[in-house]
Amino acid sequence: MSTARELPVVGPALDRVDGPAKTAGQARYPSDFDAPGQAHGALVQSTIAAGRITGIDTSAAEAAPGVLAVFTHLNVPPLPRGPMTGLGVSPPAPLRDDRILHHGQHVALVVAETREQATAAARLVRVGYASVEPVLDLDDPRATTVDDPWGLDSERGDVEAGLAASAVRVEATYTTPDNTNNPLGLFSTLAAWDGDRLTVHDATQWPSMVRETLAHVFGVPETSVRVLSPYLGGGFGAGLRAWPHVILAVHAARELRRPVKLVLTRPQMFTSVGHRPKGVQHVRLGASADGRLLAIEHRGRSLLAAEDDDYEPFAAGSAVAYACPNVLTRDQQVRANVPAPVSMRAPAHAQGGFALESAMDELAQALELDPLELRLRNVADVHPALGLPWTSNALRECYAVGAERFGWSRRPARPRSQRDGHWLVGQAMAGVSYPWYQAPSLARATVTADGHAVVGGSGMDIGTGTYTVLTQLSARLLGLPPERVRLELGDSDLPKAPQAGGSGLTGALGSAVHDACTKLLDAFLDLVRDDPASPLRGSAPEDVLAADGGIRRRDDADRSETYDAILARHGRRELSADGSSTPARPAELGMAPAGAFGAHFVEVKVDEDLGLVRVSRLTTVIDGGRILNEKTARSQIIGGAIGGIGMALFEDTITDPVSGRIANATFGDYLVPVHADIPAMDVTFVGEPDRASPLGTKGVGEVGLVGVAAAIANAVHHATGIRVRSLPITLDALL
Amino acid sequence: MTFTPEVPPAAPDSHPGVAGTTTAFTVNGTPRSVAADTRVTLLDALRDLLALTGTKKGCDQGACGACTVHVDGRRVLACLTLLAQCEGREVTTIEGLSRDGRPHPMQEAFVRHDGFQCGYCTPGQIMSAVALLREDRARTDKDIREFMSGNLCRCAAYPNIVAAIRDVAQRGGVDADL
Repeated sequence: MSTARELPVVGPALDRVDGPAKTAGQARYPSDFDAPGQAHGALVQSTIAAGRITGIDTSAAEAAPGVLAVFTHLNVPPLPRGPMTGLGVSPPAPLRDDRILHHGQHVALVVAETREQATAAARLVRVGYASVEPVLDLDDPRATTVDDPWGLDSERGDVEAGLAASAVRVEATYTTPDNTNNPLGLFSTLAAWDGDRLTVHDATQWPSMVRETLAHVFGVPETSVRVLSPYLGGGFGAGLRAWPHVILAVHAARELRRPVKLVLTRPQMFTSVGHRPKGVQHVRLGASADGRLLAIEHRGRSLLAAEDDDYEPFAAGSAVAYACPNVLTRDQQVRANVPAPVSMRAPAHAQGGFALESAMDELAQALELDPLELRLRNVADVHPALGLPWTSNALRECYAVGAERFGWSRRPARPRSQRDGHWLVGQAMAGVSYPWYQAPSLARATVTADGHAVVGGSGMDIGTGTYTVLTQLSARLLGLPPERVRLELGDSDLPKAPQAGGSGLTGALGSAVHDACTKLLDAFLDLVRDDPASPLRGSAPEDVLAADGGIRRRDDADRSETYDAILARHGRRELSADGSSTPARPAELGMAPAGAFGAHFVEVKVDEDLGLVRVSRLTTVIDGGRILNEKTARSQIIGGAIGGIGMALFEDTITDPVSGRIANATFGDYLVPVHADIPAMDVTFVGEPDRASPLGTKGVGEVGLVGVAAAIANAVHHATGIRVRSLPITLDALL
Repeated sequence: MTFTPEVPPAAPDSHPGVAGTTTAFTVNGTPRSVAADTRVTLLDALRDLLALTGTKKGCDQGACGACTVHVDGRRVLACLTLLAQCEGREVTTIEGLSRDGRPHPMQEAFVRHDGFQCGYCTPGQIMSAVALLREDRARTDKDIREFMSGNLCRCAAYPNIVAAIRDVAQRGGVDADL
């Protein structure tokens, strides 16, 4: 049997299999689909943040050319809220009642024959409001709070005693603003009913969840609902929920008995599909004189929508980041009149890593110890909470290789000691311990009579390279060239696979594909078990391997047979096998499942007169377990790290403190990194295949982002002597 | 890079209740005549009326570059261009870049260098990159970064995009035969 264990640690850099389609404009994204007879929707959104609708006048809109219907809370029946999902509750149903809970809440959907007619008519809807003062601030005394929202608060040892015993202590408060996911693809939904059958092209990272939600909300069997998302213009977490606009489009299509297409505008993308919520974190660290951590206390607070949930445990990661006997983590959420937050690439860890790794830099400074040396003295060689060995951990190697590649030894210890003309220059670093996550998955593998394979599951490729790496994996396991393997993804009719999120899809779906391919070879061996015409008859799985478009004996390369020959002789058009994977359990493994580890080394230049910050070098070293494709994995790390640069220097969703309106809800005003902001980047993979799964991968979609903001803030300190504890780092903080 | 063609005279109504106009122009070498609402942008006309969905809508506000196409050989944001402004013009979209069924060298270089992830901004990046070579603004990495900065990539494939453009530039630019 061919197994994943025979794969290289770092897989070949195969070009993306969907590359030709994407570069030719032939890959079809949700908004690229149309249905015959479709109507177009346009949303009307609340212009207050809290209060009630006192009246809606839709008469002018209804009389406008081409308008088919205007949906408001007055004519939409109460729709059930979607079900609990693997990532928490569903968003509240749209147009429930006259209450306004945030600025930009959907208050009407106008549907017309054309996009232009719908957009024009939406401006004619007149809404009267009775406004009350909204809760918008973390410190508003009227706000309700949720303590320990996920049961992840942790405590070991005695932090106060640890601090008391420490030779050096640091204590600081760090703030992070709202960031908006802003995938480049505008989210869209095309909903078409055929009787009780519903087909939806939706901008989702999780087709099976949207199917379950729509079946639940509209009272039809799951088998009647098909959700398609074969390509998606990014998501970064925004596609992890069945948002109210999706429900509205499906409802309108059912009421009007014709397909409805709804494409959000860019400003609507700021209020309709989530964001990374703002927060405040307070960190206390204590260490012995030789730099051993004796206490970590990390308390986080973040904003939450009035009637929705979000997973954002800022502090939880600090419980397992370092070997430290005394640890306390506490998280709290504060309900406010804000749009619903959602996971945004590396939820919680993006913010938590900024606070912890900034504080570690401050501790190193207080100890007069090299920041890298401080990390090395506190590496958690076993899981700090479980006390179990990791299934893999090459964090020390990340530090060593990164330091070497970056030239860390040449870094002067003293801040503000390097200069390049009018630029002040600084170098710093940060470490990352990303948590392990995996969900159950199914997959199917089929070999057809022409000797090709079709492999798939309902998970989708958000751009990480899922099509490509699973093609490579399947080809290797089945002994086929990659061009004879076709991946089917992003379709809820396929075997149920989890979301593209949490850095977990490759591990989950890849392991299921591994299982399916293994079982498919078994099925072929079953077929020829008593076949006198087969040179493989009587072979056991361990006797054979997959190669050259078929199966051959390990002990005799001449005893082999191709899949198409076997299928032809047995009169079969194809042979399929279903596979599955389940998350590892620490107790069974006797080990703690590890996520990815990493180290970032950054150089910045700060204009002494203007306060401009430029990232001039970035070296990142990642232990991601087995890397299936060096090229696509490197792109994940680059993309994550640049997301970190955006978080550090640019991204800031600004909410007007009086009205609750987002003041910069465009790409002209909400700054994201552009070409000119990005230096050459150095990415290296280290480590070994992880022992938690046969595949040995750990997921690299998010680890590249975590810690980058801290590394940049630390480098700004090294360049200027100014410690910035509030993101983004803008020039006003440096003048 | 500003492009301001003359607005042609209004043509008869094509949509009930709103002004319409018919625009005759060339798309990827093929003459087209499109009757549409006067409010229709070049972007929506390409996508909705001509089924050329390779050109993407990322903001509809001229801020992301995903809708970059060539009009008379110059890069233009199709979301800020009305269809009616294109009377008599030659429009090239991502679907029109291939030569004799072969991908353009820039398309191949983007694949080779992994100059994209989700792929949504990619048609716009490629159209900008092809024009960049024509504009002779790809002499250094710094120039490439500067003059590609109107094309956002939220997956942030930026270093790989720069590598792809540099590769094509070094192999002979727009005339490269890879």
